[in-house]
Order: sequence, then C-alpha cells, then structure tokens
Amino acid sequence: MRKVLLGFTVAVLAMVMVLPTNAQTRKERKILWNSQYNYEIEPVGVGQDGTKVFKVWGYGKDVGTAVMNAKEAAVAACIFKGLPGGGGSAPTPPICSQPNAEQIHADYFEKFFEVGGKYLQYIAVTNDADPSGEDRIKMKKGYKVAIYVQVMYDALRKQLEADGIARRLDSGF
Amino acid sequence: MKRILLSISLLALAVIAFGQAKKPIIMVVPSDQYCISRGYKMEFNNQGLKQVLPDYKTALQTDPDLRLVITKMGQIMADRGFPLKDLEQELKNLEQERAESSMLTSSSSGSEMAESPIDALKRVAKADIIMDLDFEVKRQGPQKYIVFNLKGLDAYTAKQVSGVAGAGSPSTSASPELLLEEAVLSHMDNFNAGLMRHFEDMFANGREVKVQIKVWANWGENLESEFGSDGKELSTIIEDWFADNCVEGRFNLSDATENFMKFEQVRIPMMRTDEKGRQRAVDTRSFVSDLRKYLNGMGIPSKLYMRGLGEAWLILGEK
Repeated sequence: MRKVLLGFTVAVLAMVMVLPTNAQTRKERKILWNSQYNYEIEPVGVGQDGTKVFKVWGYGKDVGTAVMNAKEAAVAACIFKGLPGGGGSAPTPPICSQPNAEQIHADYFEKFFEVGGKYLQYIAVTNDADPSGEDRIKMKKGYKVAIYVQVMYDALRKQLEADGIARRLDSGF
Repeated sequence: MKRILLSISLLALAVIAFGQAKKPIIMVVPSDQYCISRGYKMEFNNQGLKQVLPDYKTALQTDPDLRLVITKMGQIMADRGFPLKDLEQELKNLEQERAESSMLTSSSSGSEMAESPIDALKRVAKADIIMDLDFEVKRQGPQKYIVFNLKGLDAYTAKQVSGVAGAGSPSTSASPELLLEEAVLSHMDNFNAGLMRHFEDMFANGREVKVQIKVWANWGENLESEFGSDGKELSTIIEDWFADNCVEGRFNLSDATENFMKFEQVRIPMMRTDEKGRQRAVDTRSFVSDLRKYLNGMGIPSKLYMRGLGEAWLILGEK
C-alpha cells in the first residue's frame, strides 16, 4: 500500500512540475511580445564615437507602429538591458545599473517614452523606408519588423546622468 | 525604517554639501608583455641574474599604435569625468623635476634642497588605478583582427577591479588603426561598468587599503611587548584598534611576527568629520595617523610613511 501511495505522489508531483512548462497559452505569448524586457536585438558592428549600431525588432498593428515600437525598444534596451556582443562589438552594459530602475523612476520614463517623447532624440539614423523582405514579417494580427538603428549612447547616458536617473562614474569624488 | 532613511539622506547631504572623497588617479600603462615582446625593454645584470624591465619611454616615443590607443582611451575617460594621467608627460615632468631639483639653490645662503635617498626613490610615475594595456594586430590569411586586453588594477591591493578582453571581428579592408579604434570603442563601456561597480562598492563598504606596522631596530620593544594597565600585547592593541575603526570592523591581518604586522583588505571610511566639524576625505595616511596618535597617547612614538592613496606604513619606536 505504501509503495502504491509513494508512486502516486511521485506521479502527481511530476505532473505538477511538468505541466506549467507546456501550458503557454496564446495570451501568455502575447504578454511576452508586449513585455518591456523582451527586446530582440542583433548587433551589426561597432558604432562611431559614443554611438551603438544594431538591428532591433518591433511589433505593431501596422508597419509604422511596429517601427515606432522598434525605436522605443532600441532606446529602452540601452537603458535597462544592455546590448549583447556580436558583429565585432563587445557587450555593452545598461546605462541604469540600478536594479528595477524602470519601476523606481516610473514617472520619468513614462514621460520619456511617451508618443513623440524625448527618446526619439537619441536615435540618430534609421532606414526611413518601410522594412521589407526578411525584416518584415506579417503575423495574424499585425507586423513584426526589424530596423537598423544608431543610438546616441553617450548622449543618452549624459541626459540620464543629468536628470539624476543614472549614476555618474565620478559621482562622490 | 524612517530613521534609517533619514540618516542615509543626511549622510548623502553632508557628503554633497561639505566635501568629496579622494578621487583616484588613473593612468594607462602598456603591459610588460607588450613592451618586452616588441623590444621596448632594458636589460640589467642584477648580481648575476639577468633582469628585463619595460622601457616605457621608448615605447611611447616610437609606437604610433600605442599612442593612438592611449589617446582614444584618454578621450573616453575624460568624457566620463576621469581625465587620465598621461604616462609620457609624467615621465617628461619627472626628468625636468629631477634636473631642476639638482640645480636649485637658495638665493641667500646657496643651500641645496633637502632630499633623502627615499625622496629621490619616490620620484616615479604613480597612479592609484593602473589601466594595464595589451593588444596585438593578428593576421589570419588576408584578414586582420585585434586581440585586446585591458585590466584595471588597484596599485595598492594589486586586485583587478575591472577588465575586458577579446578579439575583434576579422577584416580584409580595414586598416589596423581603424581596427584598434574599434577595439577601444567596443570595450570601454564594459570596462567603465566594472570601474563603476568598484566605486559603488567603495562608497558602500569603504575604500580597501593596505597597512603595514613595522618596528625600528633600535627601539628595544617589539609587537609582543605588553602595554597598558591590563598588560595587553601591542599587536592585540593594534588589532583591536583596527576592529574599532574600520568600516564594519572589516580587515584582514594576513601576516604578523614580533617585528611586523601586515593588514590587507582594510576598509577605511571615505569621509569623516574633523575637529572643526568639516567633512574631510579620508586616505590611508589620515586613517593611520589616527592610530599613530592613539599609540602616542600610550607612550609609543612612531613614524608614518605614506606609499600613496591606498597604502601606508607605521614604523614604531621613533619618528
């Protein structure tokens, strides 16, 4: 009897542990797309002085919205997540090294990333034409597009340092 | 919780309003491997033992790639609020200073300036954080790529406080100069992030320094001699003082005999309030000076010898 009970318990535990991993619904996948941490970035080279060059993906109902989302993701990645290494460039750390910076300074970033907000000032060059070919994926509801951006990384860092959001390297000295 | 927040705010306000911590001096120095492998070296016969030392002056005068990398790094660091001390200029200044010191005499009596052998020995290029640089342009068939290695070393604790290393992507068309510039631009943000972590740790847990206690040979006492009303050994008295005065009592007595004590990983506060109520930055010299005063009160005279921002010796027995 004990052996049967033990076997039953192990089976139940195994199911409980395995089930959630397979239970990603469409709704959850959508949350993942919309997640502020889910930046899809591919470095393409080393930028000129104080800039970072990479390819970034964005989502939207139409191509224009997806491009704007990609621009927002490009700046947000530089601030919160950092950039991966590749294409000859080394990994770049995030400007805000403080954990949960996006929540601590929520009001600031809400204004910073509003439609037509200040974040656009730090995107220097993008391919202005609508992305095409492999950089434009039609999905069931909307588009996933990739754009090539040059983010003015040093200027962005200086702005955040001046606004007291990021810490200066020489602060305290 | 409110009290803790209030005290932290007051402390931060005090630091901002009254003073700032001592800023470390940073200098780029080409690594020994870089200099020696390219022939920028000096060879000595040290009592039958062949000794090879890097010749920085020749390296800086003849290697354009090295100058390019140092200039680029200096530009980035200055932009981040840390202008670098230039090794080439510092070597020139030291030569000039040496020449002027030997010629300078008093106008009234013709007296020379007082200089002990140790004063002369101290006239060398120094920095608190050394950016130890090494790079090489490598070839793979028709392609060229850069292998870049940069270490941030604390000159006193000899600890690596930051570092980046890696190979760039190979190119057939780009010139080595362009590849070198790319290597610097690509790695410096990461290097500075490491430096930032080091500074944050410094402000949270105190500056990490090294202190040595030594004894003059003619003193007649040593670190095992007993002092005070309760007859404590001097080494125990000194250890207790460190426990009371280090940030959170953090230090490590790494080695000791009756003649010396070597304290490492000593965490000293960044700021303190002086007798006039002003906030003053603390360096190892001022920290150990408090120990000197404490021991003086027990009838133990001593000489304080400074070895930079992060290391000091206290030699017991006399000034």
